[in-house]
Order: sequence, then structure tokens, then C-alpha cells
Amino acid sequence: MPILDEKVIAEVKKALEHMKNPVTLKLFTQSFECGYCKETHQLLEELITTNDLLKLEVHQFESDKEAVERLGIDKIPAIAILGEKDYGIRFYGIPAGYEFSSLLSAILMVSTGLHKLSDEGKKFLDSLNKPVHLQVFVTPTCPYCPQAVILAHQMAYYSDKVKADMVEVSEFPHLTQKYSVQGVPRTTINEDWYQEGAAPEHMIIEKIKEAL
Amino acid sequence: MFDFNVSLSANADSSQIYDTIIIGGGPAGLSAGLYAARYKLKTLMIEKAAITGGQLTSTEWVENYPGFPEPVLGKKLAKDMEDQARFFGLEIINEDVSKVNLDGEIKEIITSLNTWKARTVLIATGSSPKTLDVPGEKEFSGRGVSYCATCDGPFYPDKTVAVVGGGNSALEESLFIAKYASKIYIIHRRDSFRADPIVIDRVKAESKIELITDTIVKEIAFDASIRKLILHNKKSAQDSSLDVDGVFVFIGANPNTALFKGQLDMQDGYIVTDREHQTSVKGVWAAGDVQVKSLRQVATAVGDGALAAYKIHKYLDS
Repeated sequence: MPILDEKVIAEVKKALEHMKNPVTLKLFTQSFECGYCKETHQLLEELITTNDLLKLEVHQFESDKEAVERLGIDKIPAIAILGEKDYGIRFYGIPAGYEFSSLLSAILMVSTGLHKLSDEGKKFLDSLNKPVHLQVFVTPTCPYCPQAVILAHQMAYYSDKVKADMVEVSEFPHLTQKYSVQGVPRTTINEDWYQEGAAPEHMIIEKIKEAL
Repeated sequence: MFDFNVSLSANADSSQIYDTIIIGGGPAGLSAGLYAARYKLKTLMIEKAAITGGQLTSTEWVENYPGFPEPVLGKKLAKDMEDQARFFGLEIINEDVSKVNLDGEIKEIITSLNTWKARTVLIATGSSPKTLDVPGEKEFSGRGVSYCATCDGPFYPDKTVAVVGGGNSALEESLFIAKYASKIYIIHRRDSFRADPIVIDRVKAESKIELITDTIVKEIAFDASIRKLILHNKKSAQDSSLDVDGVFVFIGANPNTALFKGQLDMQDGYIVTDREHQTSVKGVWAAGDVQVKSLRQVATAVGDGALAAYKIHKYLDS
């Protein structure tokens, strides 16, 4: 049985009509001890049928050491969104519910080069000289979460210094515990800093400044 | 078991002058957008969130919107409203409005990326949850203090939580949280609830829920090891403490009107309009929760939006 129904497939086709350049979805998965690996794989198989510019590459987390290391994958299921290069855009856990919109937004951004960072935001990102790792914790039923995920992914797209992950809390309880996340969205910045809620760009930038 | 939401920002053109710009994409804005698009007005909706639908998107079930004898999911109703308006040509972009200039023939709506221009503006920015303003609340917001049950309910499997409030939101969200938590205390400052009687009956029938009335929260006393609320009973004038794993606050809402201060007549922070939703400034309308009104519901918001769009259409015609 398909995971995406006909109505959603039609909507996705329409949304992805604006794609310009090819996008590769790299899925990291394994056949055992992985909550939603199977479902995430099926989702991506169905998603790539909606547009010829989409390509899926499946990597085995336990055996494909080279790709795991090169893309810095540390948990599964993981999706890396690549275009001309790897921008550091990751989804950890199934991008279901409202996060499906975040996935489509990332694909469109990588394919078209269009993002919504302000001039001040770009200027700040240009000035970065240290790596920034953003982890946005989400639940699929949280309507405010895609805003935080999309912003983090835009920063990763724009700056080589920024990596940005969506992290679905129910699949990675150890991280939820480690960062004591009890509300979403929550954007952690490197290890010790975080921003609560779907904060606007300038607030995230202020937090990143504090964290560096 | 999974659902998949598709909601994406359009690529609108900021060099043109729109007939109308709708700020805010909740039920009022979406119904105005539907009507305006069908009147063939060049219409742009600016919504700051990535997901359109406003507070509907964080509401689990809607039971009192006519036409749905079976309860409808808030997110489904929001998505259907959005799809319907888009079908007739409404453009929706996701940008955060930072400033508005409402005087003059051409109104300007300024975001971090663009200056949008229109002959008329409809404000449908809705409202945001009120905070308790007690010690501990701000520090633990997102770390045990929450304002969104659909977002954060999943953090409390088999846990004990408190819900503060006595209206429909507090009681309905408690029923949602009961899907996860094993025990829920609803703390309400009065002895009776202003929620709809049918909702109160359902809460009373849920064995996981215990009602604590005539009581206010004085402090959210959370730290790394202990989590408790300090409560104050208004009748007995006694303080007590209640151990919980988290607390949800649903004590009403504040209008999102900071952008318009000094430009429009307001009352207690809400925008004053006439019966046809015209504000104190020519060419500017307001609809939904953001305006002065007595009942803030999806059903009333869509009526507001439709009427405002009709009046905008008439105004542009004349």
C-alpha cells in the first residue's frame, strides 16, 4: 500500500514543478533496529516518482562506512539533500506530518537556489569563521516546527560553515534527553546553546553569535 | 499511521501593486482570500509561519464548525481552506512583516525581504497564547512549560501534567494530552468552567483528569531534579504544592497587533472596526480574532473574512 495518497502525490507534483536542477536524496538506513527506516525508504521511493529531477541513493548505515563518514551521518533514518554539492542539509527521522513540507522546501531550495535569508542574515553568515551545527528538534504534529527547520536549512544552504539537521524527537530519545528537550521546535546551536520556538532569523543569529 | 502535509511558499512579485494584501493566514484570512480571489482581485496573503492555518493547525479536533458532523482535524480543515483559496488564485508567501505604512492611497507592508504594495489591506493576524507571568514560567518555557498540546503532548507518555485554564482550549487540549499522559490536573481560578457544557461533560468523564478549582498557579518551581507547582487556593487562602512533569498553559490569547500600534484605533489591544470590518483608516480592514468582538471561533472568523473581502471588493469597484 502506498504511503503517499493520490491527492498528496498530485500536490507534490505541482509543488515540484518549479524544480530547475537535479537533487539527490541520500537515504541512510538499515534493516534492523531502526524505528522508521522502512517507512522513510518507502516515502522517498514514492516521492522520487513525482519529478524526474529527483534521484534516490540508498546507503546501508552499518556497511557503507565511507558515505556515512563523508556525510557525517550518526543516526538513522537519515536523509541528506544534495544538489551540486553537499550543503549540510539533513533530516533525521521520518519527515512526516508537517515536516513533509520542510522536506519539499529543502528540495526546492537546493534545486532552484532560492531562499529567504535577509541581506543582514547573509552578511552575518558570510562573516562566520567557525563551524555552526544547528539541530532542530520537532514533532510531526507541530505546525510551528517547519519554520525553524526551513530557516536552519537555508542557513546551511547558504553557508559552508553551517550544517543543519531536523531531528524527530520520538525516534531519538537519547538526544531529547541529552539536550533536555521538552518542547518543540527547539534549535540547538553547537552543543550548549539553544533557541526555543519558531524564532525569526535575527533571533537565531543573535543566539549563534552568543554560541560562538 | 502517517500523514504528509504539503504547504509551500509561493514566489510572488513585489514590483506590482496588489488589489489587496491579507496579513495572516488563519481561518479569517483564508476565507477572505477565497472570496477576494473569486472577485478576481489581485490578492496576496502574507503568513509568517511556514504552515498556513493559524491556530487551527495546533487544534486537534474541531467539532463546532458546521458541515462536519464527524469531528474534523484542525490541520485538515486548515489545509482544505488553504487549498480551496489557492485553487481560485490566492498567492500565499511566508514572510514575517516587520513594519506597515497604512496611510495613503498605496499601503506598504514591509518584511525582511520585500516591500509589498497594495490598494487595500486586510489584517487577520489573530492572537497568541497568553502567559501566566509567574516565576519559573519564562525560564522553563519549552523545558516543561508549553502552550501547544499537539506540539508537546508527545513528550509526556505516562507522565503527570497540569493544564492551566478553564475555557474550551484548556479542556479540549487536556483531552488530547490524555492520549499520552497518565494523569492530568486542570487548574482553574474559578469554581466553574467557561468551556462549552459538552466539553465539560467529556472532561468529567475522563478518569485521568482531575479538576482543581478556585486555584491559581503562584510559581512554576522546576529545577534539574524536582518539578512542582506552587498553588494558591483562593477560597481557603492556603498554598500547596503539586508534583508534575510538565505544565500546559491555556488561559486565553493576546491580539497580534504590535505592528499597528499608533496607526489604527484599538481597544484593549484589539483593532476596532465597524460592523463591516472597516478600521479607523481608509482602505484597511480587520477580521477574525484580532478585532474587537465577543466570540472568537472558526465559524465567526470565516464570516468576518468573507464580509471584509466583499467590502474590499466594493471599495475597489467604486
